[in-house]
Amino acid sequence: MKKREVSKISSTYTDFLGRPAKWIVMTLFAIAVIGPLYWLFTSAIKVKADYLASPPVIIPMKVTFENFVSIFKNDGVGKGLYNSIVITAVSTILASSLGSLAAFSLTKGRLRKPIRSILACWFLLQKMYPAIATAIPIYLVMRDLHLIDTKTAMIILNTSFNFPMVIWLMMGFFQEVPEEIEESGKMDGCGMAQRFFYLVLPVVKPGLVASSILTFVGTWNEFLFAVILSVRNAKTLPVIISGFITDRGLEWGPMAATGVTIILPVFIIVWLLQKDFVQGMTMGAVKG
Amino acid sequence: MMGKGRNHAPFKTSEKIGGRGLKQKRKGLLNEEVLTTWLFLLPALLVVIVAVLIPLCNSFILSFQKVRINVPDFEPQFVGFQNYARMLEDPVFKRSVQNTVVFALVSVPIELVLGMVIAMMLSGDGKGARIMRSVMLIPMIMAPVAAGTMWRMMLDKNTGIINYLVSLAGIPAVDWLGNPIMAMVSIIMVDVWRMTPWFALLLISGIKSISGDTIEAALVDGASKWQCFWHVILPQLYRVLVLVLMMRTIDAFKVFDIVFVMTGGGPGMATEMLPNYIYAQGLRYFDAGYAAALALVFIAAMALLSGAFILVRNRRKQDE
Repeated sequence: MKKREVSKISSTYTDFLGRPAKWIVMTLFAIAVIGPLYWLFTSAIKVKADYLASPPVIIPMKVTFENFVSIFKNDGVGKGLYNSIVITAVSTILASSLGSLAAFSLTKGRLRKPIRSILACWFLLQKMYPAIATAIPIYLVMRDLHLIDTKTAMIILNTSFNFPMVIWLMMGFFQEVPEEIEESGKMDGCGMAQRFFYLVLPVVKPGLVASSILTFVGTWNEFLFAVILSVRNAKTLPVIISGFITDRGLEWGPMAATGVTIILPVFIIVWLLQKDFVQGMTMGAVKG
Repeated sequence: MMGKGRNHAPFKTSEKIGGRGLKQKRKGLLNEEVLTTWLFLLPALLVVIVAVLIPLCNSFILSFQKVRINVPDFEPQFVGFQNYARMLEDPVFKRSVQNTVVFALVSVPIELVLGMVIAMMLSGDGKGARIMRSVMLIPMIMAPVAAGTMWRMMLDKNTGIINYLVSLAGIPAVDWLGNPIMAMVSIIMVDVWRMTPWFALLLISGIKSISGDTIEAALVDGASKWQCFWHVILPQLYRVLVLVLMMRTIDAFKVFDIVFVMTGGGPGMATEMLPNYIYAQGLRYFDAGYAAALALVFIAAMALLSGAFILVRNRRKQDE
């Protein structure tokens, strides 16, 4: 009886345009999402005659991995992959750890109210300001510091870009930590740092995972500053794939292989931590 | 009073000592706490100052100067408001503003409506809905550059799969990225492909937080499913809808990656967006002063938009 009611309510959502409409929309949606990805993955393993064929070869009969071999050999994808991994790993660790510290201070620290609101508001604004607006001065500063084309520059920038998101997300999690946990720490004479590391941090672990994964995706995909600040040595994967287009027209096979190399790590990690990712996305949006 | 108190004297003294000790301890803790608070904030503030505040100030100064960043040892000259005045007569600037506004105002509503429909249909707990909910994350998490590249390959006039599918329907080949109007349509299409799932994701969580009671009551009263949606569900989603709409609108104005890889702003100026134009002025033509002025105007516009957003958000919060 109860179950029937629940399914009745849920079908009120899913069938709100009628059952046939639902099947049509869902089929089209599935094709629209999966179709392009199928095309990308198959193009990556097609031989040259196939990816340039007209009419297009929908199901490749000949499968080859030479596109992957060639991009690692000729296009610096190996190095790009290495750069992407280092920059993303370091930025993710820095942004989520330092960001949580700041968020803890902003929610539970001893700050005067106006300072607290100004800082919180600043981070909210920073979340929305367009990154391109500081691109030129950042380029000039990094040039003066001789940091152009280094991973250090990319790490500093990606960390700063992700701070606002981490801080807002973690503030939401810290606010939900029950007062009693902190109070009991205070009773035992724990300082703020001890309370943070031993009492609060274990409770907000899901928040840490969520902000890390969002930082990971954001940094891995970051393109604007990667293209501005890298010349040869610090190129990340997105910069390399953008180079494919401007340099030569019809190398679809290697290009698709590079695309697969970029998206595969993100797929795997988001797939494994899907719940945290979705929670982070929704909390970050609705709270921020 | 004295006599009465005497009985409890031992307790009182001990309490007093304890109290004083605790107070002193508290005070020590207080100082320590203020210190720790700022210590915790320090790294974030430092990075923000270095990577955001200083560049912003630099941008402000640059915008009043004539600077060629490709000429070594070029002495910046103060030119007053010349860079700002130039904008008024710059046809590419006007066109890029217009393009950016068109892009945001067309793509975001499409994404919202499609996202809403999909969110409704995927709110169930069936296996199919669960699988689709994870599959639809893919466009959203893949690098925008990779998505742009992928679509560019599919939209190619001669070898692209899209034109092949179009030809099956008997329509002659479309020059997707070579025709000014179709190029804009293509960019919007790719953005819709990427961001519709984002809307759906956030709206699903909104829909799930609606209590079933209101819907049950409406169903008992004989409302149709559509009426339920229109009169019961939609009004309760209003807050979330406004929020995601504004967030995405602000984000849409920052479009850069997909334009960069799909059309590079072309053909002609057909898909030149403001961020791409700022990039081109600063790092392709090396006119840092003009680029900074453009950037500041862009920031001002975005600040107004964000300000309106925060105002609406706070008012909504107060309403609750």
